[in-house]
Amino acid sequence: MNRRSFVNAAVSVAGAAAMTPLLSACGGGADRKTGANTEAGLKSALPAYVPSTSGKPEIPSVAGGPDAATDPAYLSYPSAPVTTVSGVPGKGGSYTAVTPLWGTVPPAGNAFYQAMNKALGVELTMKPTDGNNYATIVPTMTAAKKLPDWIQLPSWWNPNFNLGGLAGTQLADLTPYLSGDKIKKYPNLAAIPTGAWQVGVWGDKLYGIPCFSSKFVVAGTTFYRRDILEGRGIKADQVKSADDLLSLGKELTDAKRGVWAFGDLWTYLYTAWGAPLKWKVDNGKLVHLFETQEFLEALDWHNRLAASGYVHPDSLAGDNANATTRFYSGKVLIDGGGTGVWKLSDHQAGIAADPNYRRGAFNVFAADGKSKPVVYMGASTAILSYLNADLKPAQIEELLSVANYLAAPYGSAEYTMANFGVEGVHHTRVNGVPTFTDEGQKAVQSQTFPFLASPSAVISNPGGDIVTKDLSAWQADNVQALTKPPFWGMNISMPQAMATAEAAQAVSDTVQDCYRGKKKVSEVQEAVASWRSSSGDRLKGWMTENVLNKYGTGQ
Amino acid sequence: MTTAQPERTGAPEGLSLRHRLRRDRSLILMTVPAVVLLLVFNYLPLFGLATAFQEYDPLVGVWQSEWVGFDQFSRLLGDAMFWHAMTNTLYLSFVQLILFFPIPIALAMLLNTVLSERTRNFIQSVVYLPHFFSWVLAITIFQQMLGGAGALNQFLRQQDIGTWDIMTNPDTFALLVTSQSIWKEAGWGIIVFLAALSAINTELYEAAAADGAGRFRRMWHITLPGLRGVIVLMLVLRLGNALSVGFEQFLIQRNAVGHDAADVLDTFSFYYGIATGDYSYGAAAGLFKSVISLLLIWGANRLAHAFGDDGLYRK
Repeated sequence: MNRRSFVNAAVSVAGAAAMTPLLSACGGGADRKTGANTEAGLKSALPAYVPSTSGKPEIPSVAGGPDAATDPAYLSYPSAPVTTVSGVPGKGGSYTAVTPLWGTVPPAGNAFYQAMNKALGVELTMKPTDGNNYATIVPTMTAAKKLPDWIQLPSWWNPNFNLGGLAGTQLADLTPYLSGDKIKKYPNLAAIPTGAWQVGVWGDKLYGIPCFSSKFVVAGTTFYRRDILEGRGIKADQVKSADDLLSLGKELTDAKRGVWAFGDLWTYLYTAWGAPLKWKVDNGKLVHLFETQEFLEALDWHNRLAASGYVHPDSLAGDNANATTRFYSGKVLIDGGGTGVWKLSDHQAGIAADPNYRRGAFNVFAADGKSKPVVYMGASTAILSYLNADLKPAQIEELLSVANYLAAPYGSAEYTMANFGVEGVHHTRVNGVPTFTDEGQKAVQSQTFPFLASPSAVISNPGGDIVTKDLSAWQADNVQALTKPPFWGMNISMPQAMATAEAAQAVSDTVQDCYRGKKKVSEVQEAVASWRSSSGDRLKGWMTENVLNKYGTGQ
Repeated sequence: MTTAQPERTGAPEGLSLRHRLRRDRSLILMTVPAVVLLLVFNYLPLFGLATAFQEYDPLVGVWQSEWVGFDQFSRLLGDAMFWHAMTNTLYLSFVQLILFFPIPIALAMLLNTVLSERTRNFIQSVVYLPHFFSWVLAITIFQQMLGGAGALNQFLRQQDIGTWDIMTNPDTFALLVTSQSIWKEAGWGIIVFLAALSAINTELYEAAAADGAGRFRRMWHITLPGLRGVIVLMLVLRLGNALSVGFEQFLIQRNAVGHDAADVLDTFSFYYGIATGDYSYGAAAGLFKSVISLLLIWGANRLAHAFGDDGLYRK
């Protein structure tokens, strides 16, 4: 997964709209709308929010700032799941669905799929597709105009998929079915918070069905081996500044034994110096991350860290593929990572390598140890599914009813079916919690249906309560630090040349070389200067004129 | 290359095309799959080159995308990173030519002197094997052995000797990738030379030995002249491919040594074209490379002919 772009405002490329003088010479280009949603348009497209009343989490949600809250957590599973959908949602239609899967693809047409189809009342052909190559597979489908009936398009790849361009041309407009009170026909969908629906709105119309929505979305954080650090009497809350972290590096590194304190920290740590995620607004003026002093300070610290000898040599060599292996085996004790990793399967894999394994995360801190700790929030979901524009209204309604089934709340009969399969076949109850059988591990554990629609995220790790408790406690400790970055939850369509400028490949390559100790900070400054003069300043002008001045910052 | 061969089967002059087609129909049939493969995967995609003159948007397709003439190329020629990738490519190509090219020839000649059939087969299997490894695997093996936390450096650390930075040093990257290439491909590269060696009449050696020629003189006057045609052919092909030094090998190690050292023309097209959705720019870089390669291969072929060798085809 592209970790960095995950949390940024969803940006999409809307074709060659002849933005640059260079390109305006020849005609014939397709003209597509660029910009963002208007406030009024967004309001009329969004569905009403009717929270679900079922479910009593053992660890309730803790509220933070606007649109921020911890995920509710469950330690037990209802012994008699409640049914939320009466009858069978489908009317026997035949459809194909494609979802990304990071794991082993279950056999096609397996017994679980068949059981699901029976419960859903449709012939849904599931085609889970390798998540690691998803970004290159989907564009071949869109270029041939051959999208399946239902498809999952994670928002961090919106630029790759050109989502702003697909919306309305190849993806169905759901506004007539879901906006305002119309959603009340689908109560489980209505229980998904508004912030998540916002991610699916393009050009003032609703397209996406949010999955796994959450009010605690951050790109990632700095993890540590809690078992090992606590064994040495080090507590997470002792780390309050960059200096604390550095001295921990000295204490923990034992290169002769093959143990280094740090893996790859930069991606989730640079904002601790007060650097913005990508943009900040200073006195009404847009400032890019690369222009800020804080960015250079963060780089300088990481550049010195690379030379300190506390970073694992393989991390410095950019070998990210084996980062988890190094963490499990205790060769790296502190490493940056996406928060999605903190779950039962991580716990099980870690314990297999080291029976004492326990993952922990430092509380968000400011590098100077004095400023207010800040972590920037991502939009309320990054996982959205879309329906094909070629579907007839009756078919769209049928699939929305199916989505309503799949979005049934945690612990309900429908949720149990979609996530654990049939009791006795795919799972059995062990101490009351659903536990996969061998059959279930093959067909159900690699989630497919929840990627089409699912209820708001809860923290639940049946059989691994320690993970649930640790993650809930960390979320509660850090919920106050969650801050909306500019353009939060705004879907910005931009012309190709601007998207290329925003990707700033030359700068990000140099930044990477710098925090891995191969380039000096001054060389990054040179790369930034040349980026600004070639396209960066034009990007800023475009963002100011077409987004900031027209739609504001979305905060 | 190969498709040109059936023409020279010594057909008597005066046979009409139809007669020749009839006579050679089974041979022609056998080449059809290869020709179709070439058409579908090598010639048909050539139409995609049109995107190099556009601001290509995959969603609206080639027909609807905006035509921008040579704008992508003027952007390309003004891009310092492109020229950097070009310099890297040429430098790596030169290093590989000097260090890599002679090795399969030397290996083939050495192997040719081994008399025991079993030993020969064994050595051949061993040196062929790495060719079948993927670059990912090959580089992982190098990393495990020579990397910062690899076997060698961990040993040095335990003996309190300073570590040796092999895998992440941008200055010696050209030597590193060349030695990786030698390890992986040199064995495979000997096949064509072995074939040429086996075509040399052994009686020549016997006659030379009878005339008192030593080992070195036999190599100089018989073996090398016997290999000359193949060596020149390989050299011409190598020069034509001077701008293709490989892709995965650099893609995988780009993080380790940084983009300055590792970016070659192919990775440039990938990172600054495809990865950022700037397809037309990547296509322009690719087309530029192809044109230069074509000129190089044409020049090398002319040179070979000038020296009286066959080159790619007999004149």
